[in-house]
Amino acid sequence: MNLLIVLGVFIAMEGATWLIHKYVMHGFLWILHKDHHDHSSKGDLEKNDYFFVIFAIPTIALMYFGTVDSINHLFYIGLGIMLYGMTYFFVHDVFIHQRIKYFTNTKNSYFLALRRAHKQHHKHIRKEDGECFGFLYVPLKYFKMYSNSAKK
Amino acid sequence: MVLFFTIIICFIASFDKRILFHHYFGAFIKAAILVAVSFIIWDVFFTAKGVWWFNTDYTLGIVIAGLPLEEWLFFICIPFSCVFTYFCFDKFFKWDKLSAFNNLIVFFSIIVCAVTALLHYDKIYTLVTAIVTIAALTYLHFVSRADWIAKASLIFTILMLGFFPVNGVLTGTGLANPIVNYNPGDFLGIRLGTIPVEDAVYGYTQFLLVLYFFKKFQNIQDEKSK
Repeated sequence: MNLLIVLGVFIAMEGATWLIHKYVMHGFLWILHKDHHDHSSKGDLEKNDYFFVIFAIPTIALMYFGTVDSINHLFYIGLGIMLYGMTYFFVHDVFIHQRIKYFTNTKNSYFLALRRAHKQHHKHIRKEDGECFGFLYVPLKYFKMYSNSAKK
Repeated sequence: MVLFFTIIICFIASFDKRILFHHYFGAFIKAAILVAVSFIIWDVFFTAKGVWWFNTDYTLGIVIAGLPLEEWLFFICIPFSCVFTYFCFDKFFKWDKLSAFNNLIVFFSIIVCAVTALLHYDKIYTLVTAIVTIAALTYLHFVSRADWIAKASLIFTILMLGFFPVNGVLTGTGLANPIVNYNPGDFLGIRLGTIPVEDAVYGYTQFLLVLYFFKKFQNIQDEKSK
């Protein structure tokens, strides 16, 4: 049961990320997110900073209230968010931005599609334009693009 | 005293041609003293409050502000060994790619520290260690944008090989009575061998801060000599 909560929250977080990214980051908080798209300010970690806060604060709160009396479901919800956050940083920093060469030559079509979708999102520099707001979920067309080429 | 053995090897090796750490002794001393001042204030305060105390059977008997002389030297000797180790690894291995893990490590550490601090706010050693660690990581990661946190964390993990025997003896491994004693009400009570888990986190933060200032002074020195 607890494992299911963790798993469910993990999946829900992808949806939440999509919503936050599309309607908040590209909505009323565009001002914070703008520099990530047009590189108008120096440094390269700006966007991650907000994700950091978005993931960390609820996790800390949930984990605290989930253990203060006895361990309950809130703790597992927090755990799900934390694991999603960690996966996000791992995939984003290590894989998409290819800071470790080990993953560069992958032939796995999911990973290739993931990287492609992330790039596609970054092609647009204006608030209104945009596609591929999700993170781990990749639109099917990119996935097909690579699974077809893998077969050739 | 136990402490002196920790630095002798590093001290001699500092003059090795391949390492040339002795060029940066000045930078190290400045960094160590800067960090030591705040950590000694913390130490004096905790000793005065009885969070921990020292068994003087094992020390020379010279006590300044409640701390044995050896404890004062500890704030120079231990960072010296740690920064020296970092300096060597950094010189011989290309570990810069580890910066990809900075976010992950800082994220995880801050959550663990924050949750622990909230749950155990009544235990002063746990609380202060967690707060100082969160503050240090937040500053290094978001303000000074240090790109070496993951690298330093890995090297600190390697340094645990030295930390365990040294701190183990201090906290009572193999001795009739521990040299450093802790008030059970002030820490989590989780011990790695005889070492309270807070000591390891305390050491980690101290290491990060000394390293931060060391790098700062090292850069200033390199700029000048250009």
